[in-house]
Amino acid sequence: MGRSRSDWHPWPIASRPLCGRLRTIVPGRALLLRVSVVSALLATAVASYAPALSAQRRAVPDIWGVWMGLGGVADADPRFRNTPFPADPDFTEWGAEESRRLASPITPGECNPWSPVGLMGASGLFPIQILQGPNLIVVHHEAITQPRRIYTDGRRHPPNDELLPSFLGHSIGRWEGDTLVVDTVGTNGRTRPLNGYVSGAVNSGVDTAPRFPASDQLHLVERIRLVGAGQYLEDVIAIEDPKTYRKPFTLKRYWQRRTDIDLQEYACTDNRRRDAEGQER
Amino acid sequence: MHRQPPARRRGSGTLRLGLLALLVLLTGQSAAAHHSFAPFDLVREITLVGTIKEVQFTNPHVWIQVLVPDGKGGQVEWSIEAGAPGMLLRTGWKPNTLKPGDPVTIVTHPARSGATNGLLVRVTMQDGRVLGPGGPPTPLPSRD
Repeated sequence: MGRSRSDWHPWPIASRPLCGRLRTIVPGRALLLRVSVVSALLATAVASYAPALSAQRRAVPDIWGVWMGLGGVADADPRFRNTPFPADPDFTEWGAEESRRLASPITPGECNPWSPVGLMGASGLFPIQILQGPNLIVVHHEAITQPRRIYTDGRRHPPNDELLPSFLGHSIGRWEGDTLVVDTVGTNGRTRPLNGYVSGAVNSGVDTAPRFPASDQLHLVERIRLVGAGQYLEDVIAIEDPKTYRKPFTLKRYWQRRTDIDLQEYACTDNRRRDAEGQER
Repeated sequence: MHRQPPARRRGSGTLRLGLLALLVLLTGQSAAAHHSFAPFDLVREITLVGTIKEVQFTNPHVWIQVLVPDGKGGQVEWSIEAGAPGMLLRTGWKPNTLKPGDPVTIVTHPARSGATNGLLVRVTMQDGRVLGPGGPPTPLPSRD
């Protein structure tokens, strides 16, 4: 495969916030004609944006690009191995029942978006692509039609009664040194299990581990950072969901930076067939 | 219980079951599955020798239609399911790697129902090239 442009940047990270901000607050002609008004506007703008600007202009790690998950990659660097789901999950009564329900070979809704844990699952089968702006980080997963939006503009989660439940939830992020800390709530509890449907992908085998459901009480705190001289991405995902699990648990996920790979189109509902069991494939 | 496939069959045993279970433990691939693969007998493999009728290099999964001699002068059409096109592109396939009329040897996990379809394990082409169902691409060497 030839070298692709997947690591291409439209503009250097440090220059992005300033351009974007000024364009929105200063119309070009007004600057010439109504200097006093604009001066006042500028003063206000500088006063209100200065702290944000200085924070954003501080260099943050560059996580832009295509990343290939390392789950199931036998010859990957052993320092960067995904950790397994707990062998003996501490389910609530509802969680245990939901886990049994989801252990069915019939998988309705498999073309719906996955959970944020699934999107950040780092299997070796599908790459993710991170688009990193100053106020927003977007994560595309090849097999999921919905992008994951992580707001890094300092906003908070909406109040509960204004939060639209969604498959991927509402994610806000902030940089703590070299680590992007992402907080996610607002999932709809209707996603596929966090560890996928029962009985593996085309190149795996029989999977009898319990399914890990997620309810609308799912709350994630992720710590994302570059490791391995910037060639690997680590996501430590702390998962709590009091409706499903009696105690939180943590997963570690790893990707390798791949400038030689592009994301392909994945149209889940395109060429499907119904098998003898009635499952659309 | 299963219909006899019209081609030579290869057995499986507890060793293979154990290896597959180990593979699952090691890989944790299930989270990436488009749907359950339970309709296929993932511990059994059969080998089909035939010719390509058609390849549908489409999402969500690639389908390979193979014509296999039934030993009575006729042919049986098998539908073999592989991974997503993106996975295949990253593991050595091109959309036109297999063309109608190409002789192939295909190892597949057959459907439990006995229908003539299966999940691709590997395909061997006439020139000896072997391609899989689309898994992880080879990782790059670490640079630190």
